[in-house]
Amino acid sequence: MAAVYKVACRLGSGNVKCIFPRQSFYTHRKLYTSDSSVPPGGQGETEPQQPSAEKPKSGFAVAYELHTDLQQKQESTSSSRVGSTRDETSFASLLRHSPLVQMGPAKDKVVVGKIFHIVQDDLYVDFGGKFHCVCKRPSADGDKYQRGTRVRIRLDDLEMTSRFLGANTDTTLLEADGFLLGLVDTKAKA
Amino acid sequence: MSSMASGILTKVISGLRCPRFTAAALSCSGQAYSTAALPKAVVTPNDITVDSDKLLNVPLSQPDFFRVSELFSLKDLFDARVHLGHKKGCRHRLMEPYLFGSRLEVDVIDLEQTVEHLQLALNFTAHVAFRGGLILFVSRRRQFGHLVERTARECGEYAHTRYWQGGLLTNATIQYGPGVRLPDLVVFLSTLNNVFQPHTAIRDAAKMNIPTVGVVDTNCNPSLITYPVPANDDTPAAMELYCRLFKMTINRAKDKRKQLELLRGLGPAASK
Repeated sequence: MAAVYKVACRLGSGNVKCIFPRQSFYTHRKLYTSDSSVPPGGQGETEPQQPSAEKPKSGFAVAYELHTDLQQKQESTSSSRVGSTRDETSFASLLRHSPLVQMGPAKDKVVVGKIFHIVQDDLYVDFGGKFHCVCKRPSADGDKYQRGTRVRIRLDDLEMTSRFLGANTDTTLLEADGFLLGLVDTKAKA
Repeated sequence: MSSMASGILTKVISGLRCPRFTAAALSCSGQAYSTAALPKAVVTPNDITVDSDKLLNVPLSQPDFFRVSELFSLKDLFDARVHLGHKKGCRHRLMEPYLFGSRLEVDVIDLEQTVEHLQLALNFTAHVAFRGGLILFVSRRRQFGHLVERTARECGEYAHTRYWQGGLLTNATIQYGPGVRLPDLVVFLSTLNNVFQPHTAIRDAAKMNIPTVGVVDTNCNPSLITYPVPANDDTPAAMELYCRLFKMTINRAKDKRKQLELLRGLGPAASK
């Protein structure tokens, strides 16, 4: 609970952090464009009314205004430069929508993994977590488990760690723990 | 043991670029990396001084001269699972500033910080490679030993992924004879020896005034490393990404050096 709250706080603060750069970006834009005759943002809409009163703008000036308006619209919708609350490329957003986080606790979750290494009867399966999982080759359909085969795993733990007596930190086995359910097969699923 | 040592010896001696007596003088004085003598000698010793100084200062004109920030993005790091850390119980206290948080006992590394640190590290590596520095890749993870050695071979640098003898850096003149050139940068692709101990080379490089770049995971101690990069060092995808990035920066820096040398080479020849 405490951990989720902490993450939620960080996510919240991350979102707040993302809003500020946008404001600073627009002020910078203002500084940049104050030298030229084109004002940024919302004033661009009132701009066309003014030159008709003062002086009609000729070819290049009109084209420049059009270009900056288009660029601003493009930048307000593009998510690459400015961080926004719905920005897919901000780390907090990527993390929140990642399958590993959406999965929740790893206990008893069924995932699909790929075998990337085989040592006789041991299958090393990578399911997208930090560590791989090592499972014994099952007796049924044993020959079908080769490198690159996709298999279903029921996870127990993402990383096998334990604190032993007298130790400062946990001892980690650098492996995940899971039970091999079988091959990923369209016939088996149906 | 002796065959390993002789293998390392041939590697180090074959990397000798400056005359033996200068290297001996430098290693005796305790400074491992050459700052005075140019390792890659431009044609004649007469026109070295002014031209070489100008050449060496060219990349210092801009903050990101080698454009290392274009080599990767936050999304690339995320897809390579660089943000995944160990469990909360394995956490090293000094890694706490680099963490985004912890979710369901699993630490998550803040990739925004990782991006900055990785840019600094790659930039530094590029500058060292540009100046003809000797780079040593170190990793004691047996799973990635072959990958690290292949990376080093492909960028023309050195790697040490076997047992680290105690006096490799600190006792080099006696173990390998006088006039051995020590690395100018040590890149750690994993800072741990096994899950309990940090790698001896971190301490030794700090003793010998050799800068280090290291990928520090949540259970590592980042204190003695000059350019730590808080990142995951257990997943093959992440390790392949780092190896690729280091290889690309080093090759880019070396190509840039050759290019600038050619340009300068044409300059004085044309004026004559």
